[in-house]
Amino acid sequence: DGVAVLPAPQNLSVQSTNMKHVLTWSPVTVPEEIVHYSVEYQGEYESLYTSHIWIPSIWCSPTQRPECDITEDITATVSYSLRVRATLGSLTSAWSTLKHRFNQNSTILTPPGMEITMDGFHLLIKLEDLGPHFEFFVSYWRREPGAKEHIKVVRPGVLPVYLETVEPGAAYCVKARTFVKAIGRHSAFSPTECVKVQGEALPL
Amino acid sequence: QEFQFGPCRVEGVVLQKLWQAFWAMKDIVQAQDNIMSVRLLRKEVLQNVSETESCHLIRALLRFYVNTVFKNYHDKAVEFGILKPFSTLANNFFVLVSKLQASQEKMFSTRKSARRRFLLFYQAFKQLDREAAVTKAFGEMDILLSWMEKFYQL
Amino acid sequence: VPCVSGDLPKPTNVAFISINMKNILQWNPPEGLQGMEVSYTVQYFIYGQKKWLNKSECRNISRTYCDLSAETSDYEHQYYAKVKAMWGTNCSKWAETGRFYPFLETQIGPPEVALTTDEKSISIVLTAPKKWKKNPEESSISMQQIYSNLKYNVSIYNTKSNRTWSQCVTNHTLVFSWLEPGTLYCVLVESFVPGPPRLTHPSERQCVSTLEDQTTALEVK
Repeated sequence: DGVAVLPAPQNLSVQSTNMKHVLTWSPVTVPEEIVHYSVEYQGEYESLYTSHIWIPSIWCSPTQRPECDITEDITATVSYSLRVRATLGSLTSAWSTLKHRFNQNSTILTPPGMEITMDGFHLLIKLEDLGPHFEFFVSYWRREPGAKEHIKVVRPGVLPVYLETVEPGAAYCVKARTFVKAIGRHSAFSPTECVKVQGEALPL
Repeated sequence: QEFQFGPCRVEGVVLQKLWQAFWAMKDIVQAQDNIMSVRLLRKEVLQNVSETESCHLIRALLRFYVNTVFKNYHDKAVEFGILKPFSTLANNFFVLVSKLQASQEKMFSTRKSARRRFLLFYQAFKQLDREAAVTKAFGEMDILLSWMEKFYQL
Repeated sequence: VPCVSGDLPKPTNVAFISINMKNILQWNPPEGLQGMEVSYTVQYFIYGQKKWLNKSECRNISRTYCDLSAETSDYEHQYYAKVKAMWGTNCSKWAETGRFYPFLETQIGPPEVALTTDEKSISIVLTAPKKWKKNPEESSISMQQIYSNLKYNVSIYNTKSNRTWSQCVTNHTLVFSWLEPGTLYCVLVESFVPGPPRLTHPSERQCVSTLEDQTTALEVK
């Protein structure tokens, strides 16, 4: 191992929103030099069964920026240890390890972006693509007293998804929230959006 | 999305992730298994398993995989450069084992028949050279995952 | 007459191509022998059993494929296959596939799609793809019977509004009502089974027009 004259990165922390996890740390600065960093991780399995083995992060071994997208490294709902070290040529710092292990079940879930459109008399919804972890619970109803609320589970896709065949002259409202299977949690609902259907209301 | 092995319910494991991880290393892993005449997870082990039996059986199999197969295959995973998919499977199996552990009190009388099935697997494993047996068991995870998929509620 | 093994290069890219459990072993001629009069012999192995088995219809053949569907029809078994090339008195070593697991690796073909229309709706009836069968007289097995979690992704394209939208269904009949009269709609359906990554086969795109609006038609008369 190189002599550890390079200071170890400090202030490691993870920001996680909608199952996108980013590890950040304070940069190690050496005037007129480019410092590189390497990130490694251990899941609970490794910590218990092969504690001497650390796995290099897929995107940040090495990297120049004082942050690392570890989303693809975290592939189970267990707690992960993360560590970073700095390198400059042959100089290598000590490892700096995240104080508290990270578990993806702590991610912040935000209401999904959605776009409600019509194609003729068909109510369609296009949902923000948040990645394969996500499903969407879409709730929709006709805006009239005593209207029944319908729920549809929508999986991520490229195309708008068909919700309902609607009647001319009526108004329909929609809201959605995300559900993440891996951690069994859902977001808050998005703001409700309503649309008015073209045409004359049907005679009763 | 959860596993329902008879009385035992397990959330928090996305089967699609396990498939992706195994598929990423299937050819490498199975190519190392030269004993084509032996299949550890034979039909007699996994076919016609009753609901109540399934929890006993999956607990025994997953515990064996975590404590023996993964543990002894780890160095090969480093050697073949498949540590990442290996880690995905190991940590998710670890989650399954710990959550199945918690649902122990719902065990029913089908422990004996599940035990017999597991022993069919284990005896075949013991008859092979240790390293060959671990490599074979690791390569048969597609058979195990296929069976587990039958208990996965979408 | 036994040939001298190893003097010829092996066939290349030996692999199963499988759709709806029709399992064809395919390969490329050995390097440098394309176009020569090379013949091939195929054998297969059921994982967990004892020995390689011959496929008589694929002994000394000149084509570069062999239908092993019957031999690999138990889709819960796993298989290997191998092929060697022969040219004159020389032959190659065996070229072998990886372990082939039909249940996980077969591609799921598209369903049959039947469309009927009236003025403002299109009815779609889907028929699940059929598993390969040896004889036409045999009763058909639907891929739905093998994959209970088989789903269909139905996408519909409105040629007038130039908009496409989709719907994921598990049942076999669906009706799109309140469509625009006298409009051409195109439908495309893809089968989907959760599990390991598989190649997909979308159906042929079928287009059908909703009938003209009868009320305006009457007024015109």
